[in-house]
Amino acid sequence: MHFFSQVYNYNHPWSHVVIGMWHKYPNPKCSHVISIDVLDRSVDPKTGIIRTERILGCKQKAPGWIVKLFGGSEDAFVREISFIDPRNQRASISSVNMSLSQFATCVEQIEYSPASHDCTAFTQTAEIQARLGIWRSAADGLERWLVQRFEQNAHLGKLGFTDVLRRLWEERQQLQSVAA
Amino acid sequence: MADSLSPECTPLKHKYDSCFNEWFEGYLEPAIAASATQPEREAYSRQKAAEFETKCGKIWKEYKTCVHDSLKQKGLDPLIQQAREENPLKEPPAGQSTPSDRV
Repeated sequence: MHFFSQVYNYNHPWSHVVIGMWHKYPNPKCSHVISIDVLDRSVDPKTGIIRTERILGCKQKAPGWIVKLFGGSEDAFVREISFIDPRNQRASISSVNMSLSQFATCVEQIEYSPASHDCTAFTQTAEIQARLGIWRSAADGLERWLVQRFEQNAHLGKLGFTDVLRRLWEERQQLQSVAA
Repeated sequence: MADSLSPECTPLKHKYDSCFNEWFEGYLEPAIAASATQPEREAYSRQKAAEFETKCGKIWKEYKTCVHDSLKQKGLDPLIQQAREENPLKEPPAGQSTPSDRV
């Protein structure tokens, strides 16, 4: 089992980050994410919490030995569930791999919460674990590869989202000042 | 806006995304405003949930049908079913601070 975590502050108010969430892809820094589909979405009329279920399609070349041993292709799918709670200013996003999930699971948890009125705290944790019952050294190798890939994507994801937020809100500010 | 996993669903997906984003941006700021009382907040949520259905319900149904068909064709249905059974994730994860804890 491998754990990963990072904490970071985005210099944008919580509402801007949460609006930006839906504009994160396509992203040149995260070119491995090639498709996103919404499978389900609901607005809880009592709490106002929005729950969204999405499937992210990713393309990332796996080492040859992984493809040989575990099958699979370049296309991998991740299921993501997000909850946006405006009342408590909390957004939580859970993601679990669907591809190769019979061999290993990568469970990721992201939270966005206000750090101040114009700054948002981002917390990301992940647990990567090969399932029991597969050949130990292959399991270790698979875990190592998944961890490497996750760390790389986590780093790029942060850079990519920073760009998206800057562009999105700079553009809107310009539009506003033109209109004014 | 990101593409759908199925090119034929992408135009519907983009329309649906635009509809949602527009609704969401109008929804968010008033929903954050903490001054409202519980009944006021509930009334607001109900009204906005109904508005979302009115505005985006039709395009959602079209897009959803398209994606469901594509998932079936690509044989991804069982993977999704299994993922849902293992982690239903129907409720937000627990253990977070409440707004009163925050300044």
